Formats: sequence, C-alpha cells, structure tokens
Amino acid sequence: MRKSRSKGKLSRRGFLEATGVAAVAATAVPAIKAQSQVAEAASNVPRTTIRVTVNGKAQRVEVEDRWTLVELLRDHLGLTGTKIGCDRGECGACTVLLNGKPVYSCSNLAVWADGRSVQTVEGLAKGDELDPLQHAFIEHDAPQCGYCTSGQLMSAKALLNDNPRPTPDQVRAAMTGNICRCSNYNRYVEAVLAAAATQSAGGRKVIA
Amino acid sequence: MSETMQPLKTVGHPTPRIDALERVTGKATYTGDVKLPGMLYARVLRSPHPHASIRRIDVSKALALPGVKAVLTHENCAVVWGAGSVAGGIQYNDDVKKICKQRRHAFNNPVRFVGDPVAAVAAVDRHVAEHALQLIAVDYEELPFVLEPEDALKPGAVAIWPEGNLALDPRNETKPIVQKRGDVEEAFRGADHVFEDRYTTAFVHNAQMEPRACVAMWEGEKLTVYTPTGGIANCRHDMARDLGLADENVRVISHYMGGNFGNKNQNQDADLIAAVLAKQAGAPVKLEMSRKEDFIGMHGRWPTVQYYKVGVSNNGTLQAIQLRGYSGMGGYRKNSGSIGGIEVYRCPNIEMVVHPAYTNKTVSGNFRGPEFPQGYYGIQSMMDDVAFKLKMDPVEFILKNMTRKPSEQATYTNYSLDECIHRGAEAFEWKKRWRAQPGSDPGPIKRGAGVSFMAFRSGVGHSSAVLRVDSRGKYRVHVGVTDVGAGAKTTMGLIAAEALGVGLPEVEVVWGDTDTCPYSVGESGSRTTIMTGHAVIEAARDLKKQIAEKGLPKGSEIYTASADPNPRMEEGKARAAFGAHFVEVEVDTELGRARVIKYLAVHDCGRIMNPLTAISQIKGGAIMGIGMALHEDLVYDRRSGIPLTAGYYGARISTHLDAPDIEVLFIESDDGYGPWGAKSIGESGKVPAVAAVANAIFNASGRRMKDLPITRDKIVGAHA
Repeated sequence: MRKSRSKGKLSRRGFLEATGVAAVAATAVPAIKAQSQVAEAASNVPRTTIRVTVNGKAQRVEVEDRWTLVELLRDHLGLTGTKIGCDRGECGACTVLLNGKPVYSCSNLAVWADGRSVQTVEGLAKGDELDPLQHAFIEHDAPQCGYCTSGQLMSAKALLNDNPRPTPDQVRAAMTGNICRCSNYNRYVEAVLAAAATQSAGGRKVIA
Repeated sequence: MSETMQPLKTVGHPTPRIDALERVTGKATYTGDVKLPGMLYARVLRSPHPHASIRRIDVSKALALPGVKAVLTHENCAVVWGAGSVAGGIQYNDDVKKICKQRRHAFNNPVRFVGDPVAAVAAVDRHVAEHALQLIAVDYEELPFVLEPEDALKPGAVAIWPEGNLALDPRNETKPIVQKRGDVEEAFRGADHVFEDRYTTAFVHNAQMEPRACVAMWEGEKLTVYTPTGGIANCRHDMARDLGLADENVRVISHYMGGNFGNKNQNQDADLIAAVLAKQAGAPVKLEMSRKEDFIGMHGRWPTVQYYKVGVSNNGTLQAIQLRGYSGMGGYRKNSGSIGGIEVYRCPNIEMVVHPAYTNKTVSGNFRGPEFPQGYYGIQSMMDDVAFKLKMDPVEFILKNMTRKPSEQATYTNYSLDECIHRGAEAFEWKKRWRAQPGSDPGPIKRGAGVSFMAFRSGVGHSSAVLRVDSRGKYRVHVGVTDVGAGAKTTMGLIAAEALGVGLPEVEVVWGDTDTCPYSVGESGSRTTIMTGHAVIEAARDLKKQIAEKGLPKGSEIYTASADPNPRMEEGKARAAFGAHFVEVEVDTELGRARVIKYLAVHDCGRIMNPLTAISQIKGGAIMGIGMALHEDLVYDRRSGIPLTAGYYGARISTHLDAPDIEVLFIESDDGYGPWGAKSIGESGKVPAVAAVANAIFNASGRRMKDLPITRDKIVGAHA
C-alpha cells in the first residue's frame, strides 16, 4: 500500500515527523501530509518503443517504462487469457513463456521483452487444433474455477518442451510456482502426465 | 450404491465441463477481462491503523491531478453496505438492515482495522489512480486497539462499538450464541471421567485466485455490475437496496469467476465503491483489488478459541459436552461467528456458549463450511484425546458416540455414517496404520493415522429455473448460477438433459446474468445442485407436458416453462451428507515437518451428478483442509495491529509440492429429495479434513497439537 517516493536518505527531521504524527496532530493547526507531494501528469512518464514477438507475431509497441509485461499483454494487447492473481510473484497465474522459459509476467517489465518472444495461453492451440496439454486439461477436469489454468498450462508447456516424459515428482516440482486455490493439484499432475503420454505417442487432437 | 438407486442415462457419468474449452484457451471472460469504452480505473486507500478516528481528509491534491475523475471518502459517500454490516450474520434481510444499530458503511469513520477503506479514486489509468491515492492526506487520531476475541471481552478493553465488543444479534441484543440440552453440570457430577482442554484456530483466508474486482456502468438510472459473485440475484438485490434503486434497475453479470469458497453470495464493498465512483465520474469504472487488499480487506475464516469440558462413562459413552467459545469477528459482524461440530455426537447433555467478539483485525466472513472446519478440529481433537485417555481405538469411540438421529424427535432421510466409517477403515487399512501407542515408532521420524467424520446439512429450499425449446428441438435452460468452479453450469446441463430425456449437446445453458436468468439460491452453503437442480427438473416436467400436449413448437414458436419451487422437508426428517476422512502422516519430530502420506476421503453426498467434477471438489476441499491444519495463518503484529502475512507466500497457501494424492470413495444414495437424491458436496471435502490431520499428528508423534496451524516450530516445541 505504501510506496516510497523519497529521494535519498531519510533525514532526522523527516524521521521525527514520520514517527511523531500523534504529537504534531495534537497541536492547534493540524498539518496533514499525504504520502506524496508530487502531482505530476501522466504525460511525463517515460516511454520506449520495443520490438516483441507475441505468439509468433512480430510487433512494434510503444510502452510506458513502468508497465509490467502482464499489463502490456492484458491492457494493451487484449490478451486477457493471462491472469493476475497476486501481481507480486507469488502465485503464478500470470506465467508466460519468454524466449521459451516460464516467467511471471507480473514481475517482468514490458521493456525487458524487447527483442524477445512471448508465448501466452492464446498461442498454445494451432488454429482449431488444441495443444495436447489443453486437451488433457479438459479430459482430466484440471481447471475448476480456471483462473490459475493459463499459468499452469504455460508452466507445463515449458516442462514438456524440456522434458517430454516427466515423472509425477518432476511435474510437481516444475509447477510448484503455480498456486491453485481450488487445490486441484492431483488433477493438474494427472493431466500433464496424460498429455506427455499423448504427445510422445504422436500428435495433437482437434477441438470437438 | 444402495440397491434402490437406479442408474440414470446422463446424470452420474463422468462428463467434462461444458465450458472447459473456454477455460483452457484463455477465452473465458472474468471480471478483470471486461473492458468498456471510456472506462476508468479505481484504487482504494485503506487505513494503516487498526483503530482510529479520522479528523480530516484532504483530497484536493488528488482531485487536482490530471486524469483523476472522482474521489470518494466517508464525507461524500454515506452508502451503508447492508450485506457487510448486518448484525447476527443475517444477510439479504432488508428489515434487519433498517433496525441494525451497528452499520457498516462503504467508508467508515472511525476505521476499525488495518485495511478498512478510507477513500477511493477513479482515474484514466491505474497508475494515475495509484498516484492519486498518495496525494490524499488523512489526519488520524489513533485509538487503542484489541486483536484477540477473549481480550476484547475483558473489562477495560477498548470498545470498538458503543454497545461493547460482544457482537449484536439481529435484534440488536448483545447475547452469545447458546445451545442447551439436558443438564451438563449434573452430568459432569455423575460422569466417571471429566476432561477439559482448550483449542485455538487461526484466521485463514479464502485466497481465491481471482482478487475481488468490479466493473460498474450506469446507463441513466440503470446500473450494470460485472463482478465475481456466486449469487447474481442476491448481489443484485443487495446493490439495489444499498443504493436505493429498484431491483430491475440493477443488472449483475458474472460469466466466469476465479474461485469462491464462501462470502460471495451477496454484494461486496468493491461493487458499491465502483458503482458510486462510476456515478460520480459519469463513466464506467473498473476496480480491481490487489492481492494484499483481498487478504486484509475482504473476508476469511473467523479465528476461534474453544474451551471444552467432556463427561464420559468408563465404557466410553458420552455423558456431557460443554463448549465455551470465542470467535474473532473483526471490526464488523458479517457472519454468525458460531462454532460447529458438537451436533455430530450423540450426547444427552450439551451446553454451547459462543461469544462472537469484535476485534481490530480484518473482518471474518463465511469460508467453505463457515463454522465447521475449525469447530470440527476442536471437538474431534478433544474426542480423539478422550478416546486415547480411555485407551480406546478412536474408530470404536466414534462408532459408539456418533450421531444416529438429528434429534430425539427426528430421523435422517438416509443414514450411512456406519458404512462410511467401516468401508473407509477397511480401505485405508486403519488397523495397520494406526498406532495403539501414539508416538511409538522408533527414531525421530514417526508415522501414525487419524480419523474424523461428518454429518453435514443438506437441506432443500427455494430456487428457480426457466426452460425453453424451439422448433429445431434445441433446449435452453436459464439458471442464475455463475459456476464458481464447482461445475454448476455443467451440472445444470446434465440435470436438464436427464429430465428432458435428451443428450447434453441438445441443451444450451444460459447463466450468469440477471437479465437472462431467474433467481438462483447462489453458490454458497453447498445448495445449488440440490435447490436449483430441483427447479430444473420441475421446469423440465412442465416443458415435457407442453410438448406432449401440443407437439414441438413450429416456425418461430418457442415454448417456455418456468419453475420456482420451494420444497420442504417432511415433518420429522432431516437430510445430511455423511463422510469420514482417514489420514496417515509422517512427522519428523526433530525438524518439525509433518507430511501427509496417505489420505482417504469417504463421502455419502447422495447421488453424484458428475463424478468427474465431484471428485475434484472433494480432493480440493481435503487439500485446503491440510493447508489449514499445517500452514495457513494471517499473522498480526501484536504491537502495531498490522497484518504481516497478507499474501500467498506469507499465509503459506498450499502448492503442488504440499498436495498429496487424495483418494475419494463415494457411497451413493437416493433419499428422494433434491435432484435424484443429490446432497451437499462443496463444503464436504474440507469440513472434516483439519481434524483428521491433527489427530494423525497426535497418533504419530504422541503430542496433541492444540493450536492451529500445526507449524514446524510448534511440533519442534512439543518435542523439546
């Protein structure tokens, strides 16, 4: 909630003011202070143009330097399949692949994606052809509320790209950064193992 | 499966969800995904103090920031949040809201917990809104605060409300929750043994993956609200009441929501704040809570202190149970604060006195089996200990003392608790895994087993459904469900298809929008399958009658059948879902680590509508219960009243690595009520789970763990 905007070290006076609120407030004229005194307009925010390939499509986008990658994807590229569960690197709902590696897109700045490729849940199916993981997720009832599902899928995708036949423990280890509060963990593991089996038997399945 | 239960054609077979494709392709639209033209973004400023009165708020700098369109504080927004402020946990009740002395506003002065909303801003984007919050200056007068419910009721404690800290009931009376039968004092005097103990449980958070959010839009006097709610009809009525609108001028839409787990069958303060901001700004407003706000500003399971006194005869028959309990409600009473679980024991003398107390912690709400997982943990740990002290196998003790009738005068519609326990004990190999001498394994790493059981409400009641058919023979079932994750859309589709005698693909399910769906009871209290499912069958009966009389509709004709049943139980009958959980744990007594290595959940939830989703519900409930037993806690700093662990990492929500395989065994039954005998499932998996894990830890380690969560430090401490 609190966001420090102070520049440099805290002065002794500043420290006393911060800790002596009650004493100051008890005087006749309460001087109340907000956390920030800087009322600058949004137009002053630095912006950068980046080149990023999203789900196979190369694009040039002007981003605010403060945007996170998930903010770029959801708010500005319309890719809302990636979810925000915590916005601070704890839950994994925002997992995407950055140059093939799973990352929390809430904890990466959009500018860091410059020159890189991003894959989101929207890029898993090839046209009408579901990824074997998506198919297995449906068959095994992996998504309950579905809010963590995109992140689970992307972590699983990264795992199977690296290790096509993981053991159950390897699946749990690879996906432990993806919290599911419906706690459908058993199903997610089953589904990833099933997808691995399908995939190594060859091929994708078509949407019914 | 009982002999009388006939298999059905569509219901009862594992069926993938009808919306699974949307959920795995990122196409499912959750509230945060809604983007309207000209939409503003909102943020909420929250109290940094556990208890303070606001002397003055200066919002002038925030209003002057370019891009800021509206600012609300208690000074310009006096909306009373009915569903958040109503005493006694009686929600949706307009009369109670009118008389209630302790009103909770959207913005309160004084503020009563760290996280109480103080101001809200709508601006052109989220960054401007955040910046604007920092420009708001608030002059607080800090007040003394109290964090623990027992402390709050001591003489001299700061009064959080003028009437004191014992929460008011719906009649504005300060009385504890009391249940009495027989004479406990007399029974204690006559009992061969009397045991006393104290158990405590922590504040644990719903922590649903989707943080609270709302998009509000006005068209003249008509308000549309997109919000993650389990009850669109109840949310609509609450919004209308709180904002002084007619119900038909409010539309609530919830097409997908990221988890429920309770406390979402009413409107939320986020909905009201977004609506008032949108009105003031003259533009649609999106308000998304941060994860931290969701943890400290919304809801969670009330923490409890439970003092038990149990009288028992030499042969292990219960003579008397007394419970004196305290529940921490936070600064407002949003729900009952009761402590459940005594009722599952057959005992002639009981006395329960529970004090729901105001504290300066975040507000407690309903969370998956509101008063039960914590109450079951307390009473079933207590009884496990009584069995141990009498040198009885806990399974034998349960079979001797468990409920067999809901009351002296009434009977259950069906009863399978014996079967749950016998079949479970056999499948789990109880005799092999349970240690006759707790903690007797040699070495520091020890194994043991625990058991718990449940008999849980499965009542019938009011809900509705509309069915339509067109000339192509395409059926549409309109139900006011939102599908919080339990699979209600699919369940309603299956029930409609079965009742109509058609295949599931012939039925389209229309859900999640008050403009297109009739009243549904709301996805709380494990009621939707029973109540809305029953309404779907009634509507199908009507539609089939119309078709039998007139044939299928022709041309552009559409037949409509609606049902709004309010079934009652037969006199002297009660329904319950039954179950038993068996858990084996391994406890490292040196490192304090407790790990579940085998888990069996046996449940009679009546007839299972869809085994695929029903099993997921039980597995998820049990894993949540393990988390509550072993990790989860919203820890407060005692000196400052500030919550320290508000987030997934801090509150230690279970991950893939914490989740053991849960084996699920259903014993099905059809008692003639609900859709073909369906009983409650949603809360069932969690209610007995915590007690079973705690009892297993005792059996493995020989140490009774009396305070949740049973963390490593406590296990190590118990072995020091």
